[in-house]
Amino acid sequence: MDEKFDCIIVGAGVAGLAAAMVLARSNMKFLLIERGEFAGSKNVSGGVLWGHDLAKLVPDYWEEKEAGWERFINHRRLTFMDEESTFSLDFKSSHFNEPPYSGVVVLRSKFDRWLADKVQDAIDASDYAMDSFIATNILVDQIIMKDDKAVGIKTGEDEFFADSVIIAEGVNNLLTRQVGLQTQYVPADHMLTGIKEIIRFDQKELEDRFQLNGLSGMSNEFVGWATDGVEGGGFLYTNRDTISLGLVLGIKDMREKNKSPHDVLNHFKSHPAIADIIRGGEIVEYTAHVVSSGDKRAMPKELYKDGVLLAGESANLLMNAGKAIQGMDYAMRSGILAAETIVKAKEKNDFTSATLSGYRKALDDSYVMKDINGFQDAVHLLHTPTMQHDVPNLICDFGRQFFTIKNEPTPKSKDMLRGAIKRHSSYWDLIKLGAKGAKAL
Amino acid sequence: MKLLSLQERLGLVSYRNQAKSEIKPHITVETDICNSTCPHKCTTYVCPANCYTMDDQGKVHFQVEDCIECGTCMYACDQGAVSWEFPDPEIGRGVTWNYG
Repeated sequence: MDEKFDCIIVGAGVAGLAAAMVLARSNMKFLLIERGEFAGSKNVSGGVLWGHDLAKLVPDYWEEKEAGWERFINHRRLTFMDEESTFSLDFKSSHFNEPPYSGVVVLRSKFDRWLADKVQDAIDASDYAMDSFIATNILVDQIIMKDDKAVGIKTGEDEFFADSVIIAEGVNNLLTRQVGLQTQYVPADHMLTGIKEIIRFDQKELEDRFQLNGLSGMSNEFVGWATDGVEGGGFLYTNRDTISLGLVLGIKDMREKNKSPHDVLNHFKSHPAIADIIRGGEIVEYTAHVVSSGDKRAMPKELYKDGVLLAGESANLLMNAGKAIQGMDYAMRSGILAAETIVKAKEKNDFTSATLSGYRKALDDSYVMKDINGFQDAVHLLHTPTMQHDVPNLICDFGRQFFTIKNEPTPKSKDMLRGAIKRHSSYWDLIKLGAKGAKAL
Repeated sequence: MKLLSLQERLGLVSYRNQAKSEIKPHITVETDICNSTCPHKCTTYVCPANCYTMDDQGKVHFQVEDCIECGTCMYACDQGAVSWEFPDPEIGRGVTWNYG
């Protein structure tokens, strides 16, 4: 293979596969390199893939019986937690029952592998059926730079050349640092560790327990006691016959508070409400992976340079503004936009940053950067101690009183609320929070 | 539900090259830094796979065999002791997720 590719994509995660799909459909000659045994074998997410972009890549994906996704979300729950109680905002609606769904739960080892098969189908249908490849089991050591322009990749003794490189290597973005788009040392300030167990149930038992119907599913985020005082939150998503239960925990905060993520996971699971949910399940996998917080300060200084583009978590495109943890949809859209930029560059036969800057513009104009830019205040607010501790404690305290019936004269709700606020926060803090929250959301 | 120990959890993980006795570590740690100037030795508690341990004398030790490639130590270490790479598919350990 001494011939030059139009593009080499590093990493067969959601971003890399989305890019590959667009390139295959645009009749481009490309190489997609994955270091794992198969696409998805190294990948971890919570995780829900939000939005409709999957339908752009795989139209009618929902009609496949053995598709790579687990369940569609029609039930959302946000739970505030103190030591003994949970108080949830719960929304379930048949409005979400129609494809393309608003969100689907995925397990990456299965989903990415399935999506890679779809990409292979697209390659087979293209003019370069014999010249474009998905290559697994290959670790990229280096991006080959010539006059500060990316011209290929080096793996062991082998070198592969291309007009362009899309780095979609994930959050541990060593190649991104190597080409100088991010500093070599990235501090822990805006990075979190995601930690998760896959817990299996009999499928019918799971469906009954969570009131699931067919392939409907639930997503549940947790704020408060779940994280044992560490910045972050918990999550629970229903798969076909398992649930994904886990936490994301601020790395800097764990360092400063002397906490182990696996201990905090046991702390979370020992909560009476969680213990009730998972009773009788069998743990079949334990996973962990770093994620970025969605704070823009964690992002690389630019997302392109001559011959190279960054997509997905290698560009730290992820956000949790309180409504949903989004990352895979950003990865998918950024992969699509990166590939579309490469297609345009090929038409002009110009792969310099002059053309590739169009990627940044397209991403800025898309919902990805509009949301990341627009909800920075919410990201910061969510990570304040008031939101992490005071508010969940206050809400649960109020809930306990509100739902307690003692056959005694019952105080008015506003008095209960006043008491709860006094015990856990102050009016002034809540006014500040409300004002900030109204602006942030 | 019984809460699993970390060892039991790691027992559920599929690693590559498990049969190989000699593997090439993808992370190297200058434990001299951990054991001299580091004020917190945080890798010994933030690593989700407990690859970093502390002995009775308070010395930090590192083993790569249980590593699940999450990246936590790369960010958590602010003392320059951790050099992080991805494992070589042929001669490294590394993880293969069954669910992910």
